[in-house]
Amino acid sequence: MSDIDPRVWESWSRRRFIGTGGRAVLAAYALSVPGVARASGELARGTSSELDATSPEGIDLFIERKTIDIGCRPSSAITINGGIPGPLIRMREGREALIRVHNRLDESTSIHWHGLLVPFTMDGVPGVSFEGIDPGTTFEYRYPVRQNGTYWYHSHSGLQEQLGHYGQLIIDPADKDPVEYDIEYSIVLSDWTHMDPYVVMHKLKTMEGYFNFQRPTLANLNTQAEATGQSFTEVLKTRFNWQRMRMDPTDIADVTGSIYTFLMNGRTPDENWAAVAQPGQRVRLRIVNASALTYYDFRVNGLPMTVVQADGQNIEPVETDELRIAVAETYDVIVTLPDDRPRTLFAEAMDRSGFARGTIGPRLDIEAAIPECRQRPMLTMADMGMMHTVMNGDSSDAGSMEHGSHGDMSDAADTAHTNEGSASSVEDLPTSGLPERIEHGPDMHGPGSIVMGRTRYRQLSDPGSGLGDDGRRVLTYSQLRCLETPSDRRPPTRQFDLHLTGNMHKYIWGFDGKKWSEADMIRFQYGERLRINMINDTMMNHPIHLHGMWMDLYAGNNYAKNPRKHTVNVQPAELLTVDITADAPGQWAFHCHVLYHMKMGMFRTIAVVRSLEEEAANADS
Amino acid sequence: MQIHKCVLLILVSWGMAVEPALAQHEHPASETKTETPETSQQPQPETSAEGSHHSDGPALPEGMSLDGVLDYAAGPPPESYPDPVADDELKFFTLFEQLEYRIPDGGGADQIGWEAQGWVGFDYNRFVWKSEGELAFEGQDQGESETDLLYSRLITPFWSLQAGAQYANEWESGDYEDRWSGVLALQGLAPGMIEMDSSLYISEDADVTAAVEAEYNLRLTQRFVLQPRAELGFAFQDIPDRAIGAGLTDANLDLRLRYEIKREFAPYIGVRYGVLAGETASVAESVGTDTENVSLIFGVRLAF
Repeated sequence: MSDIDPRVWESWSRRRFIGTGGRAVLAAYALSVPGVARASGELARGTSSELDATSPEGIDLFIERKTIDIGCRPSSAITINGGIPGPLIRMREGREALIRVHNRLDESTSIHWHGLLVPFTMDGVPGVSFEGIDPGTTFEYRYPVRQNGTYWYHSHSGLQEQLGHYGQLIIDPADKDPVEYDIEYSIVLSDWTHMDPYVVMHKLKTMEGYFNFQRPTLANLNTQAEATGQSFTEVLKTRFNWQRMRMDPTDIADVTGSIYTFLMNGRTPDENWAAVAQPGQRVRLRIVNASALTYYDFRVNGLPMTVVQADGQNIEPVETDELRIAVAETYDVIVTLPDDRPRTLFAEAMDRSGFARGTIGPRLDIEAAIPECRQRPMLTMADMGMMHTVMNGDSSDAGSMEHGSHGDMSDAADTAHTNEGSASSVEDLPTSGLPERIEHGPDMHGPGSIVMGRTRYRQLSDPGSGLGDDGRRVLTYSQLRCLETPSDRRPPTRQFDLHLTGNMHKYIWGFDGKKWSEADMIRFQYGERLRINMINDTMMNHPIHLHGMWMDLYAGNNYAKNPRKHTVNVQPAELLTVDITADAPGQWAFHCHVLYHMKMGMFRTIAVVRSLEEEAANADS
Repeated sequence: MQIHKCVLLILVSWGMAVEPALAQHEHPASETKTETPETSQQPQPETSAEGSHHSDGPALPEGMSLDGVLDYAAGPPPESYPDPVADDELKFFTLFEQLEYRIPDGGGADQIGWEAQGWVGFDYNRFVWKSEGELAFEGQDQGESETDLLYSRLITPFWSLQAGAQYANEWESGDYEDRWSGVLALQGLAPGMIEMDSSLYISEDADVTAAVEAEYNLRLTQRFVLQPRAELGFAFQDIPDRAIGAGLTDANLDLRLRYEIKREFAPYIGVRYGVLAGETASVAESVGTDTENVSLIFGVRLAF
């Protein structure tokens, strides 16, 4: 079957041709890339073919090993319909999606529809929702489409995601889209390595810091002193402190630009993915971070952008200059070129070891200057949960912490062990003024968890390490307010604490110190509203993804306005709360979306069951 | 038409897809299902969490009732399902911290020396082997080696407790001596990023000795690493057969400068200062053996 099926062209939604037909231009661009060598793999990437999965005849996806050129180097990739990323899948809300996935690999595969609320057997997680798709077989996904927005899809088998097995998925709303725009572009950010992902994992598992070439050294003592404005003695003292605690403040990303090529729509920075937009046009960028591991700091260099959607959910528009997109999150932004100069779409890796890049401008043949990557950030004692050093931050924040502490630590500590389905009162939990911080209890979760400082605190207004100190406005979770209040905003009646834990030295990751294989399922009672307090005991960011149900992120504002997320980023030493309506019966995956963390055990099966008591009784018998 | 064929195919394979779920569903363990009065007391979600214009009710697999799904969810997934994440796979690692050529300062034969260790196993439980030794590069056939075979368990985030056996041997021309010992060891990372390995040995002759090793990696640049290292030997009693006196017996103080061409391939140069101590030194002096020596070393640090 050819990459571009005639049906694809027919099924393009009408909006494609409204405005200046940006999409058509884009497709044409894919066929005639100016200034880029047309290597064999070239056409395979960023071809922006588009398939309508809610058309009556459905769509076919072919999963195949293919050698494609990335950065002028041939590499074996797992492609979907021949490309990286896979085709853009479109759906229309209210219809039924039908997707036939043909596995042409010599290993099992799967596709998970990230953020979609589907029957659990259609969720595509081998071992949880089904057996997986055996080599040579076809699996039909069929489910009603009950939502709209920007989402994505990817393999949930092994480490296939790292090899290119992902793509974007857009659901057009049944009603009028509240977001007004003239043209739209998909921006799929990802990370690519020529190293076999299983080799990557072996290195991570056996040699700590293997990919980090931005460590503190004698040679960069001076650079650190200059960057932090500290004296040599102070820098040495800080370093000594980190050494004493056996931690590395430069451990921002487990895998870095030392082996990663950062891709925008499958293109390397040199290949410059380009989009056409005329001055004055409202351009909707649908950004998804399909990386295995890389967090990106995204900006349209020199232009403000208005964020209109997060994780497929419309939000009250908020203007910003930059946003950090965690692995598996999506953001839709509106940008407008004020003049006919092109602008660089700049996505820096969080650890500054490289960037993905594209261009938006009135023509394809012009490029904008590429900004320099900023200084790589270093973790602070606050990221370790050492509270005394946090206080030099935003003082008003600190004030509200004291203020909002009527819930206090002890409260959270009391509820810490209600996990195992014990009868909890049906009293409503508070929906505002949640504790701003908590202290870690005495349980250190065993050898699989390194717990340093004890204080975990809300960081909803914290843009994250390395951001917010250069004058740019940075999007934070506290700014996310859903546009329309979703139907179920009952206060939760049950809560439990969930510690995100890890041992960086041994590369063991889990929840509450346990890997998936060591832990039981987590049970939700069908119909209940429950609260999870995520407590990050590690010094790394973790994008936590719940399948099948929304997480209402406690953003510190009006409860009715808390945004719904499928993936929440939990920063080092952060306390982050989500409320969930357990309205999806079945078994679901819940995990860190850093591929290697997930693979190492930061994963749980969630069972949405009839009654928690019944389960407890069954377990005892 | 082709479309019809497709639809047929879909229906057939759909049935196959939900089959395992149904099979599970028929399992007698799920007999407690249906008419559970609790169900009606559950707060039913008013609508699915989407907007008002969507179909109500939860997303259910085709052909399954809500009760059926809830019963299914309460049990373990079918046997035929793979693990969603293979987080407990067998892993292995080998590190030659030293693989080197030693040129003694005060004459004597050049030596080939090594210090290596590896493991096979899982996150918490592993088989660990450690080997170190030295043999003369030229002149007479002479050398010694010690190999520890250990079960290792991660007992805290930074420390492993290890137990097992050591085989040690020494040979010089025709002479060959060897012994087995029981080993108890504690290996891990001490505050300050100091890698430590302490072992207690009880030989088959009931002699008790101990060895403590500590090393630190000082990064000069991202690839140049200076590694000071100390190795101390202790004996808890005199061992005349081995010319060892009670107390601190010997020490090796090393300094190596390596360049990490790759993390797992790093050539280095260095020096070693070896010294005998206490009673052991006296014994050596009495038979006219050197009690200290300095060697120039060069080698490569290797990992697999």
